[in-house]
Amino acid sequence: MSDFSRRQTLGLIAGASFMAMPKLSFGQGIEGRKFIFVILRGAMDGLAALIPDDKEIEAIRGSILPAQNERLNLGNGFRLHPSFKGLKDIYAQGDAAFIHASATDFRQRSHFEGQDALETLGINGAKDGWLNRLLVANGQKGLAVGRAVPLAMKGPAPVTNWSPPIFKSAPDDLLMRLSDLYAKDPLLAASLSAAHDSSAMSMEVSRRDARRFTKEYTLALSTLGELMSEPGGPGIGMVALDGWDTHDGQANRLTRNFAALDEALGALKVTLGSAWDKSCIVVASEFGRTAAANGTRGTDHGTGGLTMLLGGAVKGGKVHGEWPGVTQPALYEGRDLYPANDISGILKGVMRDHLGITRAALETDIFPNSGRAFDGLISA
Amino acid sequence: MSLEAAIAVTRFGLGAREGEIEAVSAAPKDWLLGQLKTNNSSHAAFDGLKPSHEIYSFSRKYKTMRKTLDGEALVTASKDYGKAVRDNFRAEIKARAVYAAQTQTPFHERLTRFWSNHFSVSARNRNTRLFPGAYEREAIRPRILGSFYELAVSAIFHPAMIVYLDNDGSVGPNSARGQKRNIGLNENLAREALELHTVTPASGYSQADVTEFAKALTGWRIERNSDKGRKQGRISFHKSSHEPGARTVLGTRYKQKDAKQALAILKDLCARPETAQNVAHKLAVHFVSDEPPKALITDLKKTYLDTGGDLTALYKALIDSPLAWEPSAQKVKTPEELIVSASRLIGFDPVLGKRARDTYNSLAQSPFTAPTPEGWPDKARDWLGPDALLKRVDWANELASRIPNTDGRAFLKAALGARLTPDTLQAVSRAESGQQAFAMALLSPEFQRR
Repeated sequence: MSDFSRRQTLGLIAGASFMAMPKLSFGQGIEGRKFIFVILRGAMDGLAALIPDDKEIEAIRGSILPAQNERLNLGNGFRLHPSFKGLKDIYAQGDAAFIHASATDFRQRSHFEGQDALETLGINGAKDGWLNRLLVANGQKGLAVGRAVPLAMKGPAPVTNWSPPIFKSAPDDLLMRLSDLYAKDPLLAASLSAAHDSSAMSMEVSRRDARRFTKEYTLALSTLGELMSEPGGPGIGMVALDGWDTHDGQANRLTRNFAALDEALGALKVTLGSAWDKSCIVVASEFGRTAAANGTRGTDHGTGGLTMLLGGAVKGGKVHGEWPGVTQPALYEGRDLYPANDISGILKGVMRDHLGITRAALETDIFPNSGRAFDGLISA
Repeated sequence: MSLEAAIAVTRFGLGAREGEIEAVSAAPKDWLLGQLKTNNSSHAAFDGLKPSHEIYSFSRKYKTMRKTLDGEALVTASKDYGKAVRDNFRAEIKARAVYAAQTQTPFHERLTRFWSNHFSVSARNRNTRLFPGAYEREAIRPRILGSFYELAVSAIFHPAMIVYLDNDGSVGPNSARGQKRNIGLNENLAREALELHTVTPASGYSQADVTEFAKALTGWRIERNSDKGRKQGRISFHKSSHEPGARTVLGTRYKQKDAKQALAILKDLCARPETAQNVAHKLAVHFVSDEPPKALITDLKKTYLDTGGDLTALYKALIDSPLAWEPSAQKVKTPEELIVSASRLIGFDPVLGKRARDTYNSLAQSPFTAPTPEGWPDKARDWLGPDALLKRVDWANELASRIPNTDGRAFLKAALGARLTPDTLQAVSRAESGQQAFAMALLSPEFQRR
C-alpha cells in the first residue's frame, strides 16, 4: 500500500469519528523562523572535527588525526576533518559557524549527567529542559525526532515526537478497524485521532521507504527537516544522535561518523528547503574529549568541545568565540581543551537574536544562573 | 468467571497465563494475599546470573588489568570487556522477562517492579550498566514485604545505587580523606533520596537540608578490595571519608556518629507524613488510576502512618479497598506491561525471542534504562502519544504475523475473562483474517488496559 493511503486512511478515521477534535497548531513564532537543536550523545571529539593549526596538536594527538594535507582548510587557523566536505561548502557560503572550546558549566565526566546538564542548563537537578522552557516562552509546540522525548524537550509545553519505524507499518485496514474498536474508549480514540492530527509528522513519513537512507542520522535529520518545513510545521525541533563515545580506534570511527553527520546536515538543508534561510541549527555535545590520544588510539572524556551553528540565519563563515589553544599550560586540568565559551551563552544569543525572546524570559525562565549572551551569531 | 478474578489477575497481577483467571476465581483476594507471605522468588530463570559483588570484582579486575596493557593487547581486552558487559546485560533482561512470563506470584512481581522503579537504578550510566539486574534481585525483590524503611535502606545502600547516584566518590570536606586530597561532596544521592524516594518537595526541604544529608551520607561506599574482614564489592562505611560533626535535616539535629547518622536521618524521613503521602499516592496511581480517588490515598496514607510504613499492611489495605476494584480498567499498560502480559499467555519466545531488542526499542521502554533517577513514568499521557500508539499498532501487527495461527478470540477470553466486552469480541470476530483478529485482540482497549 502506498504512503498516501495510510495518511488518507487516518484522515478518514479522524473525519468519521472525531470531527469535533480541534487540530493542534504548532504556532509559527516570529516570521516562520526555525530553531533546531542537535545533541550528539557520547561526547563528540571537537578537536578531531575542527582541527586547530596549533603546532602542539600534532605532538599530543597527531597519531589519531587525518593527514594535514587532507584536512579542509578554513584559512583562519582551523581545518575541518576531511569527512566534512558538505559542511565545508555550507561554511564557504556563509551558512555555518563554529565555536570551539565550548562547554556547559558541568565539570565532571559522566555522560548521562553531562547530557542532563546540557539539556537542563542552569537549573541543577531540573526535571524539565530548556527547549521546553523556550516553547513555554514563545507559545509553540515542539517536535522531537527519536523514540522518546529527550530531557531538553520535557516539560509542561506540548511536544510531539516521531521515531523511525523498526517494524513494518501495519496495514491500513487494521488502522481503520481500530476506530471501531476504540469507539467507547475516549483516551485511545483521542490518541488515534491525534495520530491523524500530527499526520504530517507521523503518517506520511512513517510510511516512507526508510531504506532509502543508509544512515540513521540522515533519516532523523531529513525527517525533521521535512516536518518542520511543511506549512504550519513546528518551529522548534530537536534530534539526538548517538554514537560519539570514541575511547578506542577513533580515527576510523570518526571518519565514518563525521561523514554520516555531514550527509545528514546536508539532507537537513535540502529538506528544509526555503525554510533554511530562516533557520538556525545548533549542534552540541555534553562535553569534549581529552586533548591527547589515549593508549587505545582514542580519547577519553574531556571538557571543552565544539559547538556548530548552521542555517541561513547564522552569521557564518567564521569561528566565533575565544580559542584557548592546546599548549600544556592552556589545558584544563592539564588534559582537556579549556572551556572558554559558555554553551548557555551561545544559546541565549541565538534565542535573543534569532527568535526574539525577551531578555526577561531568557534570564529568569529559560536560562537562570547563566552568563553573558553571545553577540553576533545571527546575521539578520 | 468472576470480574473480580479478572481484575485480580490483570490489574494486580501481570496479566493472565492460560487458565489463571479461572484458577483464582474461587477466591481472588486470597490468591493475592497468599503472595504476600514469602519473598522466596528463586526461579530457574535467574540461574547463572552474577551477584553484584562478583560483578564489581570482575569490573575492577578489568580496570586494574588495563593499566598494565597497551597497544593491541589493550584493544583486545577492551573489546572483550565490552562484550562481557553486553552479554551480561542481555542475560539479565532475558531472565527478568522469562521470570515475569512464568511466575506463579505475579502480584509479588508487580510490586517488585513498582519498587524497583521507585528506587530506580538505570543502566544508562556506563558505571551501572552491569548492576541493575543484580540490584533488583538483591535489594528489591526480597525486601518488599517488610517496612518501607527497611526497603529504603536496602535500596539506597546497595552498591548499584551508591554508584548510580555518585555517593561512592562523595567525601566529607573535613574528613581525613577530604583534608588530604582535593575531593569533596556529591549531593546527588541525598537530593534524590529526599525528592524522589521519601519526602518530596512537599516537605519544603531546602538546599541546606540536601547538603546536610549529603554530608551524613559520606563514607558509605563500595569496598575496593577484600581486606580485614571487609569484602570487595560490598557496601561498607568508611570513617575516613565521613564528614565529622552533627547534622541538621528538616529541623531535627542528628548527633549520631558515623554510620548511624545517615540511617537515623533516613529513618525519620521515612516516618514523615510526606513520605506516607508519596508512597500512598504512587501506589494508588500504579494500581488504580492516573487520577486516583482521594479517599483511597487517604486510606493508604493512614495505614502507612499507623503501621510505621509496614508495606504488607499497605498492600492489604489496597486489596481491601473497594476503590481499587473499580470495574472499568483505568490504567493503560506501559510498553513493558503490555509485552509481559502478552508473553504470559503466548510465551517469552514468540513475543520477544530474537526480536526482544527491536520490540523494546520500538515501544520505547527497554528494561533497566529509565531515563532519569525518577524511573519510568506511570501515566497514560507519557505512553500514549500519537507516535507511541502507532508503534503499538505496528508491533501488534508484527507479532500477529510472526505467530499467524493464534486464535484472537481465544486469546481475548483467556487474557481477560469477564473483563472482555461483547463489542470487542464482535469487532475481533469480524476481522478479515486470523492474523488481523489476533492483532486486534492485542490492541483492544481491554488488553491495552488493566
